[in-house]
Amino acid sequence: MADLAGDFMRDYQLLAQQSWDAWTRQFQQTPATNPFAPPPAPAAGNETLERTLAGMKGYFDWMQAGIAGGGGATPVGDWQQQLQQMFGGAAQPFSQAFGSIDSASAESFTRQSQTWWKAVQHGGFGEVPGMQGATPAFGLNREQQMQQQALAAALLASLQASARYQELIQRANAQGVQRLQDKLAEHAEPGRQIDSMKGLYDLWVDASEEAYADIALSDEFRDVYGEMVNTQMRARQLQQEQTERLCRELGVPTRSEVSSLGERLQALRREFRASRAGGSVDHADDIAALRQEVVALKRQLAKPAPAATPRAANKVARAKSPGAAKKAAPKPASAVTSRTGSRKRK
Amino acid sequence: MQEPLRIDPTRALTDMATFQRKLAAGMANLRDMREPEYANTPRELVYSEDKLKVWHFTGAGKSRAKTPLLIVYALVNTVWMTDLQADRSMVSNLLEQGEDVYLIEWGYPDGADRWLTLDDYINGYLDRCVDAVRQRHDLDAINLLGICQGGAFSLCYTALHQHKVKNLITMVTPVDFHTPDNMLSSWCRNMDVDLFVDTMGNIPAGLMNYVYLTLKPIRLNQQKYIGMVDILDSPVELENFLRMERWIFDSPDQAGEAFRQFIKDFYQANKLVKGTLEIGGQPVDLGMITRPVLNIFAEHDHLVPPDASRALGKHIGTTDYTQLAFKGGHIGIYVSSRAQREVPPAIHQWLRQRS
Repeated sequence: MADLAGDFMRDYQLLAQQSWDAWTRQFQQTPATNPFAPPPAPAAGNETLERTLAGMKGYFDWMQAGIAGGGGATPVGDWQQQLQQMFGGAAQPFSQAFGSIDSASAESFTRQSQTWWKAVQHGGFGEVPGMQGATPAFGLNREQQMQQQALAAALLASLQASARYQELIQRANAQGVQRLQDKLAEHAEPGRQIDSMKGLYDLWVDASEEAYADIALSDEFRDVYGEMVNTQMRARQLQQEQTERLCRELGVPTRSEVSSLGERLQALRREFRASRAGGSVDHADDIAALRQEVVALKRQLAKPAPAATPRAANKVARAKSPGAAKKAAPKPASAVTSRTGSRKRK
Repeated sequence: MQEPLRIDPTRALTDMATFQRKLAAGMANLRDMREPEYANTPRELVYSEDKLKVWHFTGAGKSRAKTPLLIVYALVNTVWMTDLQADRSMVSNLLEQGEDVYLIEWGYPDGADRWLTLDDYINGYLDRCVDAVRQRHDLDAINLLGICQGGAFSLCYTALHQHKVKNLITMVTPVDFHTPDNMLSSWCRNMDVDLFVDTMGNIPAGLMNYVYLTLKPIRLNQQKYIGMVDILDSPVELENFLRMERWIFDSPDQAGEAFRQFIKDFYQANKLVKGTLEIGGQPVDLGMITRPVLNIFAEHDHLVPPDASRALGKHIGTTDYTQLAFKGGHIGIYVSSRAQREVPPAIHQWLRQRS
C-alpha cells in the first residue's frame, strides 16, 4: 500500500511538473534575435509574469510539501513545530514571497551595474579605480579616476542599503510566522479549526501582511527605505554622468542636452501662453473677487440702517436704478452667503 | 481546547489535485481569451491639447442636468477605472441618473512633458479644460468631480478659480498626507526627491506600479493570482479579472517636475493642510473654498487612508460640506456592485439638491 501511495505521488508530481513547464512555455516570450542586444535580461513585462508564475508554483509546492509531511494529521502539541517547518525555513517556497518584492528592481539594477562594470573594463579602462577603496588621483585622467571612485563608493553604499532593506523584509517574514501561530491559537476552539491548506495559506497571508505593515510603517523602515532609494539614485546618477561623458566624446547627443531643450521649450510655451492671454485670466479672477466684494458692500448698504440714519439709506436706494438692483441680486446673494457663511479655521 | 490545525490529508490531496486541474484547464481558456476592452460608453471628443483629451459622454438619452460634471482623474493610472465595463461603470451610472458627464484623459507623458509643473497641470491644462466645458454650455461655473490625486488638483483649482466651480466632489482624495497609517507618505518622507527626479527624469509607470504592489506584497503579488486559479474555468470572471489587470498595469509615466512638486509639497511638507501651498506662485487656501463640497472616501482604502480624506472637513471653508464613507477600497469604490448601487445615486442626489 505504501509503495502504491508513493508511486501515485511520484506520478502526480511528474504530471504537475509537466503542467507547470507547459504554463511557463505558454507565457514566456521568445526573445527577438538581435546581434546588438545586451546580455540576456528578462523583459520588464516578463518579470511580473515570472513572479506571478513563481508565486503560484510556490503555493503549489508548499501544498505538496505540506501533504507529504503529513498535513495537519500530527500528534497533539506538534502543530507549532509543523508550522515552523512549513513557513519558517529559509528554503521553503514562501520565503520568496517577501523576498521577491525587491528582487525584480534590485536585480535589474544589479544587472545594469554589472553590465556597466564590464563595459568599463572592456573599454580600455582596465581595473576600475576605487574598487579597492579611494586612492589619490592625478594626471591626465584624474577627473575620470575620481568619477570611477565615486561610482564604486556609490554602488557599494547602494548594495549595503539594499541589504538593510532585505533584513527588514526578512524580519517581517519571521514575524509573520509568529503572528500566524498567535492567530492559529485563536482557532483551537471546536468549530474554528483550520481544516484546509487554503485556509492555512489565507491565514498566513493575513498574518504576514499585518507583520509587514507594522514594519513598513516604522521609522526604521522609513529611514532604510529612503536610504535605499537615495543611494541607488546616486549610483544611477554617476553612471549617467559617465555615460554622458562617453557620448560627448563620441559626438552623440546626451539626455541632459535633450532635457535642457525640453525645459527651455516648456518655459517658452508658458511665456507664449501668458503673453497671448495678456493676463486676462488673472484679471478675470480679480474681477470676480471684486464683484463679490461690491455685492457684499451693496447688501450691507441695503440692510436697514440704524435709526439715526434713515435719510442716508434712502439716499443710497435712490441712487440705484431699480433695474440694476434687480439684475445684480441673484449672484450677490450666493456670494454674500458664501463669504459670510465661510468658516475659516486657520 | 483542540489542535487548531486539523487538515484532512485526503481533502488536502483533493484540493491540490483540483488546483492543478484548474490550472491545466485554464491554460486553454487564457490562450483563447482576447484582450478585454474597457471605456466602452459612447463618447465624443470635445477638446484636446498636447496629450490630453476631454471626452463628453453621449449616453442613451438627453441629460437632465443643468450643469455638466467634469471628472478630473489622477495622473497615475488612467481615468478608465470610471468606465471599466458596462455593469461596472460609474460614468454610465451617472448618465443614467441624468448627469451630463465629461472627463479629462491626461494621456501618457513622454520626454517632451518632463518639465510640466503642477502649475501647468492645474492653472494650465485643467483650467483650459474647464473653460472648454463652460463655453460649450455657456455657463460661468460647472461641477467638478476630482478623484484621488485629481481630487487634490480639484481642491487647488477650486481655491484658485472658485468662480468657475459650482459644486465640488472629491473622491478618495488625500488631503492630510501625514496621517500615521499612510504608508506611501512614510516611505517617501526621507527620499531625496530632487536627486530622484534629476536622475530618473519622468518617473516610469513600472516603478510606480511596483511601489503600489509593495504596499501589500503577498496579497497583490501572490494571493491574488492563486485566487485567479479558481476562476480560470469561468470565461466571464476571467475576462473581468484580466480587464482589471490590464487597467492596473496600463499606466502612464509621471511628468518629472509635477512629480517632484507633488511629493515635496503634498507628501513631504503636507502643505495643503498647513495652508502653505502655492501653485504657480498663488497661495492655495482650503479655507477660502466656499463652494458646496461632497467628500467621498473609502473606509478600507490602503492607498489613501480614510483619515487622510476626512481631514478635508477640518480645513475646508464652506459651510455646505457633506462627507460620505463608502464601505470598500480604493478601487472598489468605482467597480464593486455596492458602489454601483450607492455612489452614483448619492452624487446625483447631492448635485440635484444644489442645482
